[in-house]
Amino acid sequence: MELNINGKAVQVEVEKQMPLLWVLRDELNMTGTKFGCGVASCGACTVMVDGKAVRSCTYSVAMAEGKEITTIEGIGTEESLSPIQQAWIEKQVPQCGYCQSGMIMAAEALLANNAEPTDEDIDKAITNICRCGTYQRVKEAIKLAASMQAEKA
Amino acid sequence: MSSNTSSKKKWTRRAFLIAGGVAGTGLVVGVAGMSFLNKRIKKYTGRGMGEGASLNAWIRIAPDNTVTLAIPRAEMGQGVYTSLPMMIAEELEVSMDKLKVIHPQPESPYANLFMLTNKEPNLFKGTSFDEKLYSFLTIIGTGGSTSISDGFNNMRYAGATSREMLKEAAAKRWGVSRANCGAENGHVINNDSGEKLSYGELAAEAAGIELSDLPELKNKAEWKIMGKAVKRLDTPAKVDGTAEFGMDVRIDGMVYAAVRQPSVIGGKITALTNEEDILAKKGVKKVVTTDNWVAVVADNTWRAKNAALSLKLEEDAQGNDKISSESIAGMIEESLASTPIAVVEEEGNVSEAMKGGLLEARYEVPYLAHATMEPMNCTALVEGDKATVWVGSQASSVTQTAVSETTGIPKENITVHTTYLGGGFGRRGETEYIRMAAAIAQKMPGTPVKAVFSREDDMRNDMYRPAVASTFKASITSDGEIEAWDNKMVLQSVSNSSMKRMMPSMAPEPKDDVASTEGARELPYHMANRRVSLGDIALPIQVGYWRSVGSSQNAFFTECFMDECAEAAGQDPYEFRRSKLDAHPRFKKALEKVAEISKWTEAPEEGVFRGIALHKSFGSIVAEVAEIRQLGEKEFKIENFYATIDCGTYVHPDIVKAQVEGAIIFGLSAALYGEITWKGGAVQQYNFPQYEMVRMKVAPTTQVHIMENDEYPSGVGEPGLPPAAPALVNAIYAATGERIRSLPLSKHGYKFV
Repeated sequence: MELNINGKAVQVEVEKQMPLLWVLRDELNMTGTKFGCGVASCGACTVMVDGKAVRSCTYSVAMAEGKEITTIEGIGTEESLSPIQQAWIEKQVPQCGYCQSGMIMAAEALLANNAEPTDEDIDKAITNICRCGTYQRVKEAIKLAASMQAEKA
Repeated sequence: MSSNTSSKKKWTRRAFLIAGGVAGTGLVVGVAGMSFLNKRIKKYTGRGMGEGASLNAWIRIAPDNTVTLAIPRAEMGQGVYTSLPMMIAEELEVSMDKLKVIHPQPESPYANLFMLTNKEPNLFKGTSFDEKLYSFLTIIGTGGSTSISDGFNNMRYAGATSREMLKEAAAKRWGVSRANCGAENGHVINNDSGEKLSYGELAAEAAGIELSDLPELKNKAEWKIMGKAVKRLDTPAKVDGTAEFGMDVRIDGMVYAAVRQPSVIGGKITALTNEEDILAKKGVKKVVTTDNWVAVVADNTWRAKNAALSLKLEEDAQGNDKISSESIAGMIEESLASTPIAVVEEEGNVSEAMKGGLLEARYEVPYLAHATMEPMNCTALVEGDKATVWVGSQASSVTQTAVSETTGIPKENITVHTTYLGGGFGRRGETEYIRMAAAIAQKMPGTPVKAVFSREDDMRNDMYRPAVASTFKASITSDGEIEAWDNKMVLQSVSNSSMKRMMPSMAPEPKDDVASTEGARELPYHMANRRVSLGDIALPIQVGYWRSVGSSQNAFFTECFMDECAEAAGQDPYEFRRSKLDAHPRFKKALEKVAEISKWTEAPEEGVFRGIALHKSFGSIVAEVAEIRQLGEKEFKIENFYATIDCGTYVHPDIVKAQVEGAIIFGLSAALYGEITWKGGAVQQYNFPQYEMVRMKVAPTTQVHIMENDEYPSGVGEPGLPPAAPALVNAIYAATGERIRSLPLSKHGYKFV
C-alpha cells in the first residue's frame, strides 16, 4: 500500500492491521516516533494524521492510507527548526527525551488548530505522559512557540 | 557531621557493594606529582572517540579541532552529557559548541569511585587505599545521584592537565617557557609574540607530554562555563527525533525478539505446546525456550510481540501463586511485632524516656514499578567468541559482566555501546533484559537481535520498590520538645535482592542494608532520645533501586509524623521543625528559604492550603512546600510547589532546577496513584491505565531556589523527590483534618484535577 509521510509517497507491504507505529519504526526506519505503552495511553507514539494528533501505536496502517501523515522527522531539522522545536530548546524542555517526539507532535497539532491556547486548552490537548516530569516547561514552551508564530504572522 | 549520628560506619547505598567486604582505611597512598600515582588512569583504549590524539581517558582532540569527550555516565535525562563536559571545558578552555560526547567502553579510569566509597575522588592526585581496591572492581555505574560528586575533581583536572600539556607542546615549538603561554578558546597563545596555535595542531605532540606537577584549578569566581545555565548538548537531538535510544538501534540484518515470562513471579516454564504454530506465523524466524522465559524472534517488533502473546505455555508456579498483597501484609504485620533484625540508630534511652504526651502512628506504602517511558530493550550480536550489545544501561561494566556470564564470552571480547536512556530511575541498573537478549543472540550467531519488552512485560516483571510499613512512637514535652522518638520499619531488603542479581558474593544481609533505613536515620531534628530499627520479610519478589530508594518512603513517614508531633506540641509545622535545627544550619537555612519563597508565614487565600517537608538524601537537603486549592471535600488542584535545594556547589543551575521539578512530579505520581498489588503470585497492574501517572493537567508549577555555598557538590537527580509526598499530604491535612498514613491518595478517595 502507499502512504504519504512527511509529503512523500512511500510503499509498504505489511498486514493491514499493523499499527502505523511499527510500520514507521521497523519497516521505514523512522525511529523518531517512540513506542511507550502500545495502548494509546502515554502518547510517546503521537504523529499527525491530516493535521490531528493520533496515537500511532493503536492506529492501523490501513486507516492511515490516503491521508497525510506527519512525524517528528517532518516538522523541522537541526538547520531549520519549527517554532515549537525552537521553543523546546529555548525552555530546555527535554530530560531523558524519550517522550518528547510525541509531546512535540501533540503540541504541533494543538498550535495548528489553536494559535493562542490557554492553560486549559493545553491541559486538555496535551495528555501525554512524561516520566521525567517536564510538564511545566512543555507548557511554557507551547506558549512561547505560540507567541513566536504570532510574531511571524 | 551531625551530632546525633551513630558511631557506626556510615555506609551509603553506594557503599552497599562492599558492606561487610573490603573496608578501607581512607589513607591516601599516592605520591605528589603526576608520574604516575595511579596507573589505572592510563588503562583506556579510546575506542569510539574518532580521529585525533588522546590527552587522557576523557579527552581526544582531532586535527580539525574537534574535541571528543568520553563521558562514562549514562545520560538518562539528568544532564550528565552536559554537566560533566562543562567541567572539562571550563579548565580546558574550549567552548561548549566544540564538544562531541561519546560513551566509552567500560574501562578502568571510568569507575564511579564516589558511588562505592562516598568520598571525593581525585584520580589525578592519587587514590586512597579503598579507592584502589574498588577501582579493581571497575564498577562503571550511574546512580545514587553521584555523577557530579564523582567527577567534580576528575573532570576539572582532566581539562586542566590537558590544557597544560597543550601549552607545553606549544612552548616547545616556540622555544619559550610554558609560563609564557596562555590558553583561550581552543588555542594556546604565546604571550610574548601574540602567536597562536590551535589545540588541533598541538594535540599529537601534547599527548606524549608528562607533566611534573598538577596545575591549580580555577576559583569559582573565575568560572565562565560552570555555574551557568548553558544550553544542554543533548537537546537538539531530542527535539528532532534523531537522539538514539536503545529502542532505536538499527543494525543491518537485525531481527526482533519478544519475550514471555512466567505469569507467576519466580515461576518456571515446563512446556511450550504450540511451537509449530508459532513458527508458522508470518515473519517468525525462531523460538528460544528456557526454564525462565520463551522468546519469539521475528522480522518486526509487532509480529514478534503478537506471536509471543500466542505462545501456549505450561508453568510451574514454584509455590509462589500463594503470594498476594494480603499475604504480604500478614508477613509485615508479623515482622512488626517481632524483635527487629537491626537497631540502626540509638541515642539515649528511648524506652525510659517514652512517657507522657505519647503519640503513635503507623504508616505504609505499597510496591511501586519504575515505569520508565522507554520499555526495557537490548540489541545483541554474538559472533564466535565476540559479542556486541547496544543498550541504554545505567552501568556499562555490569552490562559487560552480564553478557559475559550469559554467553561465556570473556569480558575483553564484549563491546558495550551505551545509547541514550529513555529514563533510568534505577531500573536500568538491572540486567535481566540484557541477559535475555544475549542468550537469544547466542542462538542466532551472526544475526543482531533486538529484544523488546512490552509495557506489560516490564510492569509485571519489574524489580519493584518494596512495600513498607513504618511505626512511630514519640513523646512530646509540654514545651514542644521531642523527648523520645522510636521508629521501626519493615520491608524486603533492596540491596540484598539487587546485589544477589548483580554481584552475589557482595550482597549484604538485610540487617546490613543501609538503603532500607536511609532517610529515617540521622534526622536533623533535635531529639533527646531516639531509636530507629529494622525488620524484614523474605519473599521471591524481586525488589530494586527506585529513584531515591529508602528516602522515597522514609521521607513520607518521618515528615508526616513530624507534622503530627507539631500538632501534638500545638505548634506551626514550620516553626516546630525550625526550632529543632540549631545544630544544623544548612537544614535551617533551606527550610527558612522555602518558608520565605512560599510566604508560609502569611495566611493563604481562602480555599488554599499548604504543607511543608524537609529531607536530606544523597547528600543534599531539600525543603518543599505544597500549595493546594480545595475544590470539593476530597477534590484538589495542586497549584504550586516551592522548593529549596542545598546541593553544595552546583555546576548547572538550570539542570538542578529541572531535576527538582521533575523529581517532584515523580514523587507525586507515586503519592497520587502509584500502587502495585499482588494476586495469585502475579502483579495486577500492567500498563498506564492501571498504573496512572501525573499528567499535564494535574502537574503543579514549581519554583526552585538553589542555596548558594561552596561545599563539595552533592546529589541532584533524586533529592527533590522524597519531600513531595509529605508536603502534599501535610497540605491535605491542613485542608481536611484527615491524617493520611498510607499511599496512594487515590485509595483514600482523593481526586486531583
